Amino acid sequence: MTAAELDPLIHVPARLRIIATLAALPDGESLSFTRLQEMIGLTPGNLITHLRKLGDAGYVDTEKTGNGQASRTTVALTHNGRTALERYTAALRDLIGEL
Amino acid sequence: MSERFDTFSPPKAEPDPWETATENETGDDGGELDPREAAALLQQTTRQAERQFDIRPPILMLAAAATVLVAYGAVWLSVRNQHPYSGPSGTALAVLYGTLAVWIVLVATVLRRALSGRSSPQRRLEGVAFAAIWICVYVFQGALHHAGASDAIAYGIYPAAAPLIIVGSAAAAYEVARENRAQAGFALAAVVLASIASFAGPAGVWGVIGVGLCVLVLVGAAAQLRQRHA
Repeated sequence: MTAAELDPLIHVPARLRIIATLAALPDGESLSFTRLQEMIGLTPGNLITHLRKLGDAGYVDTEKTGNGQASRTTVALTHNGRTALERYTAALRDLIGEL
Repeated sequence: MSERFDTFSPPKAEPDPWETATENETGDDGGELDPREAAALLQQTTRQAERQFDIRPPILMLAAAATVLVAYGAVWLSVRNQHPYSGPSGTALAVLYGTLAVWIVLVATVLRRALSGRSSPQRRLEGVAFAAIWICVYVFQGALHHAGASDAIAYGIYPAAAPLIIVGSAAAAYEVARENRAQAGFALAAVVLASIASFAGPAGVWGVIGVGLCVLVLVGAAAQLRQRHA
């Protein structure tokens, strides 16, 4: 196994932190976009870019509730995202073991 | 199961950044990531997030221990010298349900601060199911009184032990299904405690459960702290 075989969508510092943070949520919970941004420390624009990439791959799910000033976006890890992270973690473990 | 509440925070009166921010198409990927660095980053982020999402911080566990001690202790103080047993006083019941209400508000507040997100419909359904079980426990108490059960049963042993035995059993089964061994063990221990405490009689059962549950929560908190620092 080589580093190139690691899931390129996750093997990026910002997205790895996003996925790891969402994976630590209790089952069935989602996180507000604002709180995720505070925890990750990215600009809103950057965070949206990464979330869109992860969302296109089916790894995260974003949901908007309310309208106007009361609107709110929440983010959650999907089943596919959790599986991808488990696969990535296992691959990483194998890779480090080989190094 | 007290931590299972809707975690949807009330919307703030400020625009949602998702709506107002401009997507950065260049998307800073942060360059090459060494596998060892990735493993360290993954571990560090997971630890930090788990600490932030901790819905059972030690302070909450201490509050839980104090709550059960005050709630059950107040009832025990009001019934300990009753011969024959006639049931808790109105003041003792007010303390019991008042402390429980404060506890529920405290847990809901901590959950909102910790997660600041939204519970899935499944989680809300689980909360409704547990609330329904809890209500049925008290409906059954009414049936016992209606059927002529003694005050010692209807207002002593049953209300002190039955909620823990019935709701605790449901919680244990739920946690086993979720492969959450620690929580399942805690729920089972509460069920065993309540079952054994029932032999202490209609007055003693309140005191035994109050002290026993307080100790159980403190032991749980200590185990949690030890695990966190391991």
